[in-house]
Amino acid sequence: MSEVIQRDTMLSYITGSVESSAESVAIRAINERGREDLENTPFPTRKDEDWRFVDLKSITKSQFCKLEEANAADVGDISDHYLPEAMNCRLVFVNGVYSEELSSVEDLPNNVIVGNLAANADNNSVKEHLGTITNYDDDVFAPFNDAAFTDGAFIYVPEETVVRTPIHILNVFTDAEKAFYATPRLLYVGEMFSKSTIIEEHIGLADNQYLNVPVTEFKMFTGSNVHHARIQRDSKKASHVSRPIAILDKNAEYHSYTICLGAKLFRNDPRVIQNAEEVNFTVDGLVLIDGDQIADTHSIMDHRFAHAGSHQLHKVVVNDSAHSVFNGKIFVAKDAQKIDSFQENRNLLLSENGKVNTKPQLEIFADDVLCSHGATIGQLQDEEVFYLQSRGLTEQKSRELLVYAFALESVESMEVESVEKLLLNEVIEYTNRDNK
Amino acid sequence: MLEIKNLHAKVEGEDIEILKGVNLKVNAGEIHAIMGPNGSGKSTLSKVVSGHPEYEVTEGEILFNGEDITELDADERAHLGLFLAFQYPVEVPGITNKTLLREAYNTIARANDREELDPLEFEDYITEKLDVIEMKDEFLSRSINTGFSGGEKKKNEIFQMAVLNPVLSFLDETDSGLDIDALKVVSDGVNKIANDENAIVMITHYQRLLNYIKPDYVHVMMAGKLIKSGGFELAEELEANGYDALEKELVLNGEAQ
Repeated sequence: MSEVIQRDTMLSYITGSVESSAESVAIRAINERGREDLENTPFPTRKDEDWRFVDLKSITKSQFCKLEEANAADVGDISDHYLPEAMNCRLVFVNGVYSEELSSVEDLPNNVIVGNLAANADNNSVKEHLGTITNYDDDVFAPFNDAAFTDGAFIYVPEETVVRTPIHILNVFTDAEKAFYATPRLLYVGEMFSKSTIIEEHIGLADNQYLNVPVTEFKMFTGSNVHHARIQRDSKKASHVSRPIAILDKNAEYHSYTICLGAKLFRNDPRVIQNAEEVNFTVDGLVLIDGDQIADTHSIMDHRFAHAGSHQLHKVVVNDSAHSVFNGKIFVAKDAQKIDSFQENRNLLLSENGKVNTKPQLEIFADDVLCSHGATIGQLQDEEVFYLQSRGLTEQKSRELLVYAFALESVESMEVESVEKLLLNEVIEYTNRDNK
Repeated sequence: MLEIKNLHAKVEGEDIEILKGVNLKVNAGEIHAIMGPNGSGKSTLSKVVSGHPEYEVTEGEILFNGEDITELDADERAHLGLFLAFQYPVEVPGITNKTLLREAYNTIARANDREELDPLEFEDYITEKLDVIEMKDEFLSRSINTGFSGGEKKKNEIFQMAVLNPVLSFLDETDSGLDIDALKVVSDGVNKIANDENAIVMITHYQRLLNYIKPDYVHVMMAGKLIKSGGFELAEELEANGYDALEKELVLNGEAQ
């Protein structure tokens, strides 16, 4: 008789039951599906290939409760976090809950929708696409979001429409007596030849522990174009497991830039799926971590049809005993000819105890493609530091400038000036911490 | 201004001495040339004087305007007015020449209680200095040495020197790899910068540079020491007879080791 080893599920780390209170039938159906998936899928351990390098202690050693039971603090004044470019184009979620009061959506082009999911549950695009794009096998985190979410952000850009104002999706997390979980959700539907810029932010306002499990779904119709910046500045005690996915029709362009600064554990699995020929996409990342932070990116660039151009530049700076993991998969299906895909992972190690694991993974079944990848791990060169120092800059300033220069390329992709400024300040603050 | 006394140095963590008792005195208004074969320690001398952390001074001292600077960091020496034009200038993608130079200029100004320049004032100041090396404005917004030709890199070193206006500059093989046109521009630049209040020490393998920048003193370096000093005629002698002849002569006289 064989012994069945009972493995934990995601629910083992959640107090109480994950009962949906969603009013919308469509959302409740997704909740139900999520619960089923959760019950049938064991929680990952380091024996699972995809979790080999990551210590999930910060989740498994804790219990997370519903927000209602956490006795969370009031949000207070968060206007410092508003982007001047997006003053009238902002959705705010506090601990995952939509705040109509703090959100501000005005002056949008005709028929553009920037609002919350619950209020738009009857919208045809929501009914048609919500929950249909996520596609993570053997996963517990996307199903957890599926099971628990009741609301989220919904962005709809109609045909031939360009939204010139960046759309700011601001997720803030407040202090709380108990560790809680949040399941932010974002559905983006870009109709034919539409265009917009999305700034998705996650900010921990205090130094508390919480579990942030966002799912973002991008449905990109023919010729649509999105610039999607994701800035993760969660509390340094938080765990953040992200499931951002985009599906691209013909001639669609999706460019995503993920900046990781916060969280004790950050796990990000961006996926871009080609749904027709001739698409273009970017899956860039910038990771700046120190202390005992862990940042793990497992990306998939899934080329299923011919003529795609895709690009991934993943830059990492590691200090103290922080740990970065990168696993970048490029898939090219058998008939997906003429793919031009490029992946680069560059790591800058600033300390003796920092750790970097990098694994490019190309699975190519077509024969007429151009795919390349590269990974480097380096330190600041003494000669570079000396050069700047000999010009009068202090050693600290010299190092700061060099790290700044390393990160700059990724920051410059933001396209929104205030975001670039904010990130440059973050880079400077990061390099300053090095000296303390 | 600069007085180097019995300077011994080695690479940090290694045993072999590279500088084996260098003595050198440089006064304001002077131009010196240090010549010598490859591996004689010329570049090491310039790095040790400018405070490269890779080297360790094991004996002797470096006095700058009477102050012992042997233990100072490279930036502190730069604040006192020392400058090194690198033999191999370092590329720093992502940081523009202007950014570096404004940071450097203002850091040095602060250290000396001089007024800092705001971005607009600095723009005017630095643009004027472009004439020294005959470069265009766009040179300022290029990333430091990134994608520069060999000649552009050397010109950039002299440009930085013009902007930072050091009291004492070491030019480490600034002539190497330059075609004749670039050599003239670089030399003209150095001649424009040189005045009665500053001093320049050129380090070179060839006499070529000295035809354009006339040194007051020429020193020959071999095996970690300055073994012979003289005027410009010493450089001519070296050019005519080579280092080997000089070495033999010194051995005969019992002056070399």
